[in-house]
Amino acid sequence: MRIALYIFTALCLFASLWSQEPADASLPKVVLAAENVGPRQIEELTSKSVPRDYAYAWKTMARALAENRSDLLDAYFTGFAKDNLARRIADQKRTGINTRYIDHGHKLEAIFYSPAGDAMQLRDRARVEIQLLDGGNVIHREQVNLQYLVLMTPGADRWLVRDLETTPEVHP
Amino acid sequence: MPRLITFLSLALLLAIRAHGAELRGPAQVKAGSAFSLSSNGSGEATLYLVGPASVSKRKVQLGSGIPVEAGEIEHAGRYVAIVCSGGDCSSANFYVFASDASKLSLLVHPSRVRVATPNAISAVAFVFDKFHNLVLTPSDVEFRVTPQQGPALTHSQPSSNGVAWVRMTSATKEGPTKIGAAVADASELRVVRQVASDACNLRIKSEWVSGKLFVQTDPVRDCGGNNVPDGTVVSFTKTDEAGKTTVDAPIKRGIARVEMPVSGEARIDVASGVVTGNELNVAGAR
Repeated sequence: MRIALYIFTALCLFASLWSQEPADASLPKVVLAAENVGPRQIEELTSKSVPRDYAYAWKTMARALAENRSDLLDAYFTGFAKDNLARRIADQKRTGINTRYIDHGHKLEAIFYSPAGDAMQLRDRARVEIQLLDGGNVIHREQVNLQYLVLMTPGADRWLVRDLETTPEVHP
Repeated sequence: MPRLITFLSLALLLAIRAHGAELRGPAQVKAGSAFSLSSNGSGEATLYLVGPASVSKRKVQLGSGIPVEAGEIEHAGRYVAIVCSGGDCSSANFYVFASDASKLSLLVHPSRVRVATPNAISAVAFVFDKFHNLVLTPSDVEFRVTPQQGPALTHSQPSSNGVAWVRMTSATKEGPTKIGAAVADASELRVVRQVASDACNLRIKSEWVSGKLFVQTDPVRDCGGNNVPDGTVVSFTKTDEAGKTTVDAPIKRGIARVEMPVSGEARIDVASGVVTGNELNVAGAR
């Protein structure tokens, strides 16, 4: 009886370890710099949750664009960002296009955090490889450094991407 | 050595030429403005136009201008145009930037604030164009505060990266204040309710009614003379031989009132938040 209990416990432990998604390993690398943000200073917890949720947003977006699944966007996108991506995915489905992102990391810089803590604007310098596929054939492939202007707002248990706009690189 | 360089250059040129039609476009375009891509080569090709919120695919003729409709570039961001002909593809990318400011999103916090509190109200305005693109070029946003009584106050603030914000001190008199923001023809309005601050000069009095002792406050006001809102809790504490008894009562119609059973001598005091009032000494049931 005791041996059976031990086996059962071991199986449960193994199953729980097996079922844990190796989330962090598959997430793109996101580094947040928040030294120059204002008018509100970023709280310690927020300084951890924003890059984490932004990384999840990119992971989700890459999968949604690769598999043409707009249902995936709900988890980390809202507002205009979600609407725009959903439109693009609908167009991709219609035209038989897929987009594949190979993410080489993001340098995120917080530039505005609203006094009430309900909106944060960030600049993202991302290095990505983008592949466009038509019916499985690669029609375009490029390795690019892109600059994004990002607006994130807090949701119930995470920060959501509300606006995501690529901007030309501005050299000061 | 010069021969080798010439040979390599020619090989490179041939390789580029063999790669297919070359596509050229402007570096930047305003959202919702039609333009043309130019291409060399000849014959039919497939054009793909991939933007942040759209993907289109259509047949085009190489060697002439390829029109891009206004509706295809309404969303700001990076676009990639690709032409493919006979298995060879070439691309050009360009940025679409926001059109003129014509929409506004306004966040005002909090919706309820105590009077005379420094920097207690914040207003953040996000400036968008008619296609909901964030307008990154600076735009003057006019913030306007309209109190219940008195003239409106305005303050113009240029946006930075599409955001303009201000912080305000609440007025000394209670009541609703309208806070608005305007840019171009767009405007948004929010209402902030300013309520009295902590009670000031809290005073109680007692009266016997049918053998029962009732203790009530004078009308509860803050130091600016504003009525402390109904529902604010006032604590009455009786101290007698049996010890201390506290009864909490919310303010109703400006006053708080409780019945306090008293036998023998007792002292009653009052507090609301961190503010204490006068004390009453009362004696036994009548």
